[in-house]
Amino acid sequence: MSDRSPMRPFTLLGAFAILPAGAVLLLVWWTSVDSTEGTLVRFSNALLTSFTFISFILMMTLFVYGDARKRPLAPLFGMFMSVLLGVAMTVFFLSQGELLMEDNGSVRAQALSNLIRLATTLLGLGLAGMVVAGTLFASLMNTPPRSIQFEEE
Amino acid sequence: MEEATQAIVFFWLAGLFVVVGGMLAFFSKVQGQRRLGGALFGLGLLSLMLTPWTLPFSPSSAFGHLLGSLVGPGVLLGVGLYQIAFSGHVPVGRLSRTDRTVGIVMVVVGVLWLEAMHWWVLTPTYPGEVNRYWYIFWPTMLLGVLTLSSAAYVLVGLVGQQRQQEQRLMLVTSALAIVLMVLGAMFNGPSVDHQRFATELIFAAADIFGAMVGAAVAILLFAVVLTVYESQQPAPQRLAPPTEQQLEQASQIIAQHVGGESEDE
Repeated sequence: MSDRSPMRPFTLLGAFAILPAGAVLLLVWWTSVDSTEGTLVRFSNALLTSFTFISFILMMTLFVYGDARKRPLAPLFGMFMSVLLGVAMTVFFLSQGELLMEDNGSVRAQALSNLIRLATTLLGLGLAGMVVAGTLFASLMNTPPRSIQFEEE
Repeated sequence: MEEATQAIVFFWLAGLFVVVGGMLAFFSKVQGQRRLGGALFGLGLLSLMLTPWTLPFSPSSAFGHLLGSLVGPGVLLGVGLYQIAFSGHVPVGRLSRTDRTVGIVMVVVGVLWLEAMHWWVLTPTYPGEVNRYWYIFWPTMLLGVLTLSSAAYVLVGLVGQQRQQEQRLMLVTSALAIVLMVLGAMFNGPSVDHQRFATELIFAAADIFGAMVGAAVAILLFAVVLTVYESQQPAPQRLAPPTEQQLEQASQIIAQHVGGESEDE
């Protein structure tokens, strides 16, 4: 009987997903980066934009959900409020002077710039996913089929 | 048409077409809606890629320029990997050995093309300087490849057996991404300064982390909204247990169908 924790695979997966990238970032930061000023601003802008955008996408999926549940308005209203909350928070924090503003001249320009930046991030992650999944799938499909070996009784 | 109206029509409306069209194409069960979604997606994407010509005055058109710059390597990688995968051990619709060779060549050219965009003169330049979104895209993609291939290395080991070849391949992919990031942070390309690349790598990590946290919070909120709604629904009406007469009728019907002579004897 195995005494391994059921969470061990997830811990291993998380560690391998984060640690190599973290180590490279530390190395790069230590050797080549003079200043990390603006990193927190980028993080906050990405968080707010992603929250608003994903809330909008999830609100759209509620139309599919609504077909199965006799078109309820309550969850749609809930997610609409969530989108509004995201927009309101973005506008509020952007209008607080230098808190989240970057090189853009107005709150609207910064919000639109954030949206394009999120699209670029998603594009980069999408292409990365295509390369990794495609490589893995191509390798799996080109491995010779294995015969099942039964243990002798 | 005013510049602001042009930007709304050719960029933001096109972006909305891409999002809504993509969702319709993926999620709709109606064939017509799926086709409409595909058409909207294609139209929106085309309009975005044409923004360097339709919106040359707008800074947003740099994103359209980046999209156009990535069509070549993206198609080569996608089609190439498809050709390699489906020339393997697939039971139906297997492609030929020639298709496999063509696929390998396409993948190699696609990877070299992407590398040439950093290390050679093919860097997307718009307008007159390196496209600002290239500085976001390339570090993000390298970080994404490293993270996903490292995770895939563990995943293949956890769910598969005798998959050392796939694990080695994922290790090689991770190592390639690490080497490219470290080299990019240490040496200048013809158009990209190494310190700028290193800084953008840190920013890309902040972007990815921020986007993931934002998405997680939105999904959590979505789950809460649905749970609250579902918990407020009245419980479904329970049927009364069957009467003696109904049970008798059911047993007669069952006896008619499962008892008696067998037809094949």
